Amino acid sequence: MKWFTYADPKIDDKEIMIIVPSMLIGGGILTFPRFVADETVGSDGWIVILIGGMLTLLVAWTVAKLATMFPNQSFLSYASAIVSKPVAVILTFLLGTISMLIASYVVRNIANTAKEYLFEQTPMEVIALTFLLVVIYAISSSRIGLFRLNMLFFPFIFLITIIIMLLNIKWFDFGDLLPMFQTSFTGYIKGTGSMITSYVGLGILLFYLALADRPKRAPKMVSIGVCIVMFFYFLVFITCIGVFGHAGTANLLNPTVELAKQVEIPGGIFERAEVVFYVIWIMAIFNTTTMAFDIAVLALHSIFKKANKMTFIFILSPLIYLISMIPENLVELNHFGTFVSYVSAGTTVFVTILLLIIAKIRGMKQVE
Amino acid sequence: MARSRFGRHKKQQQTKVEASFAIEIFKDIEQNIKNLNNMLDAPDDLMTREFTIGHGEQQAAIAYIDGLVDKELLQNNILENLQNLSVEQQSEEDVEAMFDKIYQTFISINKIKKGTTLDDISNGILSGNTVFYLDGIDAVLIMDIKGGETRAIEQPITETLIRGPRTSFVESIGTNISLIRRNIRAPNLRLKTSQVGRRSKNNLVLAYVEGIVNPEIVQEVSRRLETIDLDDAPESGFIEQWIEDSFLSPFPQMMDTERPDVVSSSLLQGKVAIILDGTPFVLIAPTTLGDILKSPEDYYERWLYGTLLRVLRYIGAFLALFLPAIYISLVSFHQGLLPSKLAFSIAASREGVPFPAFVEAMLMVITMELLQEAGVRLPTPIGQTIGIVGGLVIGEAAVQAGIVSPVMLIVIALTAIAAFTTPTFSLSISLRILRFGFMFAAAFLGLYGVILVYVMINIHLVNLKSFGVPYATPFAPTMLGDMKDLVLRAPRFMLMKRPEYLQTEDEKSANKGEK
Repeated sequence: MKWFTYADPKIDDKEIMIIVPSMLIGGGILTFPRFVADETVGSDGWIVILIGGMLTLLVAWTVAKLATMFPNQSFLSYASAIVSKPVAVILTFLLGTISMLIASYVVRNIANTAKEYLFEQTPMEVIALTFLLVVIYAISSSRIGLFRLNMLFFPFIFLITIIIMLLNIKWFDFGDLLPMFQTSFTGYIKGTGSMITSYVGLGILLFYLALADRPKRAPKMVSIGVCIVMFFYFLVFITCIGVFGHAGTANLLNPTVELAKQVEIPGGIFERAEVVFYVIWIMAIFNTTTMAFDIAVLALHSIFKKANKMTFIFILSPLIYLISMIPENLVELNHFGTFVSYVSAGTTVFVTILLLIIAKIRGMKQVE
Repeated sequence: MARSRFGRHKKQQQTKVEASFAIEIFKDIEQNIKNLNNMLDAPDDLMTREFTIGHGEQQAAIAYIDGLVDKELLQNNILENLQNLSVEQQSEEDVEAMFDKIYQTFISINKIKKGTTLDDISNGILSGNTVFYLDGIDAVLIMDIKGGETRAIEQPITETLIRGPRTSFVESIGTNISLIRRNIRAPNLRLKTSQVGRRSKNNLVLAYVEGIVNPEIVQEVSRRLETIDLDDAPESGFIEQWIEDSFLSPFPQMMDTERPDVVSSSLLQGKVAIILDGTPFVLIAPTTLGDILKSPEDYYERWLYGTLLRVLRYIGAFLALFLPAIYISLVSFHQGLLPSKLAFSIAASREGVPFPAFVEAMLMVITMELLQEAGVRLPTPIGQTIGIVGGLVIGEAAVQAGIVSPVMLIVIALTAIAAFTTPTFSLSISLRILRFGFMFAAAFLGLYGVILVYVMINIHLVNLKSFGVPYATPFAPTMLGDMKDLVLRAPRFMLMKRPEYLQTEDEKSANKGEK
């Protein structure tokens, strides 16, 4: 007899795979070609994307390995087993806080770009607030719902991006891709450094993989997820360089959105396709925000088990909103974003390696 | 998957009513008839006929409610037989032996049972049976000769097809079940009868095909059906609202249909049907979003046409939901989005319009809703007149008067037409409700608002369940196998499996699926 196992709050393989691109591809994709082109020459940015991706792949695989060493255990419980309860609580709290900061940054980021592309008069505060309210609605429903939303939205995001790339073929100039391999070594290092900000968010896997249906397959699925992201970034970057040239890409504020601006939809139904593109991209950014917010709630909830989930949502929402309002202008926001990205990436790597090494030293075997 | 909020409903009341009339029947026939009259307060339509068996002395009586029984059957197969018994046939000394003989031989009715309490009698009489008393016996015969006026089987009114069976359910549950039986001759078609309504005591049948359906679904549906505590259930909508998963959701979580072919094909897919006496609308559960956008015609026509229809329907649902909202946001927020020529012509056509786009759109959408409602309420010939008067005259006049722009009129007309492509009426209601939500969002935040509301609806959909089955499946949780029959309708030979999301016991719907 079969049972409705798929209706249970478990994440299956496909959903794990999609978590990664849903989290990683957020606001970053709108701007990253600029950062990368800043540091590299010609089309060499793809190497940077590749290196960044490979590093991310390594981290993702390690995180998944760690999480699946203790299948179906929450982060707090296996971290407690490895490094004692108080340290585990601190680590959980740290990861939760960083997640919250990511959520704040993304909320502010979307409000800023939405103001730029969609509105003339509507204040940024209102845009951020409405977005945050929808995010809160998603989080206060079931957690498994978030993964299903990823599954629902990802095809849209994927398709619209591919369509934008295809419609840009007309302007694509292979000559712009040259010269190749002219970037200096420091250029690659710097480029990778800034590229990493677009690969941030893997920390959520430490928490979410506890819900995995078949934990053994998680490392593989996560790796495929990172490859999807790499492919995505590669495609976008090459198209940007091919269409705008290197100098153009480096000087545009949001090169990816500008790509959409170039598009002339056959038949001329829409004149400014970037609005449509951007509106659909809101779904991608929404996924990033919900998961970041949800991890903050999950982390707190695992520390204070007795409290209601809604309590944390009510505490965190105003915090996220207020923090997102702190940066006064675009420059500050970018600093904030870079800061959050590096801290998040650093913490994830640090925590994962710390736990993994201590677990190895203490001779912990894979728990069944 | 069980939602416990149904469990709380008052169980105590039920037992109180059931315990009330368990009075024994007396041997004295006069006393019995008096009791019956007392209980029902001797209504005019309660017919009691006292007579003697054959030509002898033995007293007997029948009781029934006028209008609920088939009088011809009563006359020919019961009264005549009993009154014309010859002397030797009724020579039995013992009254009890005579009662048995009458039960076994003389009454030529195929459905007959014995009753021993006053409750049996009243229930029997009130649900259209005829009761036979024999003096000196403390039991009765309850004979099923239900009759009375019923409607003939006609064409379905709300779900018309170009190609497909022309039968529709009627108000009589017996006829409805026979219509399903005619489609499914499988011996393991199960029909579980129960009664709903504390006072109406309506028959309700839960139908499913054992060996296909997942037993968990049947269990859950029966569990929820048992909690029903209503006075009366005149329409299956009462049942639906009692057992649905979320009463706050704008989406229908069960499908209602008046087509026997839809019911039988759903049963064979592994769903259950709930048939209620007195209504032609049968409920089908569980239902997903994909299911309510399907029409039986998609399968009756060849797959290319079926696919075209499906795609059209999805486009229709999209337009019905979004079109007015997109118009509002384009006109009031994102004028630059439109090609300049179109933007100019829209601006020119809105020249004299005194209202903002949102008010303009609301005016027209509400007018359209009013027209639709008026058309439904009025008798058919007048209803059509309303359509013409409303649609053409008001529309034309509103444009002439400069209250709305012609583009707005096109948008509304297109929305209305798109909404009518939805195959299920209950879904088109949800779309109508949600359309207002989108329009408000568009008025406040333009396309940004529209996409946020769209995200919200998706959040709701992924959290909604219909009898434990996620409502948004096979979109999410994604079932690639079921995608073949969702937006597209794959050719027949590719649809060899029952829907994966129903987790049926027997997965294959054709022999060819075996490998």
